[in-house]
Amino acid sequence: MSEEKINANKQKVDYWKILFKNEWSYVTGAVVIVVLATALVIVTGKSWGVTGILHLWGGKFLELIGVNADTWSIYNGALGKFNFWKSIPSITNVGIVLGALLSALLAASFKIKKIKSYKQVIAAILGGILMGVGARMAMGCNIGALFSGLSSFSLHGWVFFLFIFIGAMVESSMLKKWFM
Amino acid sequence: MSENIGRIARSSGRRTQMSDAQRKRRKAVQIITGAALIAVIIVMAFVANQTNPKGAYIVIIGTLLGYALQRSRFCFTAALRDPFLTGGTNLTKAMIITFALYSFLLMAINITKFGISLDSVDFSKAAGYIRPVGFHTALGAFLFGIGAVIAGGCASGTFMRMGEGFLQQWVVVIFFIIGSMIGGVAAPIVQFKSAPVVFLPQLFGGWALAAFVQFSLLLILYIVADIWGRKKAGGR
Repeated sequence: MSEEKINANKQKVDYWKILFKNEWSYVTGAVVIVVLATALVIVTGKSWGVTGILHLWGGKFLELIGVNADTWSIYNGALGKFNFWKSIPSITNVGIVLGALLSALLAASFKIKKIKSYKQVIAAILGGILMGVGARMAMGCNIGALFSGLSSFSLHGWVFFLFIFIGAMVESSMLKKWFM
Repeated sequence: MSENIGRIARSSGRRTQMSDAQRKRRKAVQIITGAALIAVIIVMAFVANQTNPKGAYIVIIGTLLGYALQRSRFCFTAALRDPFLTGGTNLTKAMIITFALYSFLLMAINITKFGISLDSVDFSKAAGYIRPVGFHTALGAFLFGIGAVIAGGCASGTFMRMGEGFLQQWVVVIFFIIGSMIGGVAAPIVQFKSAPVVFLPQLFGGWALAAFVQFSLLLILYIVADIWGRKKAGGR
């Protein structure tokens, strides 16, 4: 064996890099996400949703600071019945935060990204409110209405797809004008 | 490409012994914290099981979803936005793949559940979400699309970025919650009682034709996205 070959054989395989550091392709991500979403359906009988419970989180916070919001028409007693551990989207949402944190930590790439300008704060406020209102109106977000809805053969998922696309297109062209 | 730039930056920063040691320490600290986080998640799964017999499964699946989203940088907003912003459609195509795979699996589950005939289909018990469609869907989705692009992430993306350490998304989620509360008041105004539930297998008189239409549309969209990507971004 030549010396080069021996050196090549000696080169250690970095399993950490293979397992935790290397990024997955989009298609790998797509397949894994669908497998997990299907597992959720099999376990709970319900499809993955994210936003359907967010208003309840807000109401629970209000209760915590002493505002009795449960009598409001948007809750109508729903806050009293709310239990975090029985609310599937509540658990999965917190799970997504923890899972993404775990992924970043194991890859040693976690970094706190600070807010750099007031523009980002305004974007966060405006974008957050628009998404919240939009998801309530459409009875779902990009997960509940688009991913889960469209895949359920429900027309509302397809209509959601068309109009979220138009919304994103309109806003992207505006972003281009303002920031580029 | 960007990986190469990162490698050059990293090797140029390796001039002093100290920074290299620091980097190693930083890596070790992060991985150990990650291992500790796994313990926290397992404890959370046990706690969840006290109240909900399926709680542990849901904790684990949720965590793995976050892991998968982060590892593959999967972002629905980028999938919808990038064709216009950068011309790239790789993520758009991956998103269409999720729709196709998940459609197939939900169809299989629902047929297993209710049989091939549509007579006994119960929307409230069906796997997935079959909901009324109408003006509210169009307006809500349009507003959601604008919001997601402004905020730089959709619903799943917001939670994923919170975990990745983006402080901006912690602000987004607060206003997402406030928006949901405002939406609770505003939504009934646009949700007409007459809005119908349209289930494609019923519309097309059976699963076979509905599946044909669903998968054909997804295939066409995939091909369009592929052509768009090749034209705009040289196949990226």
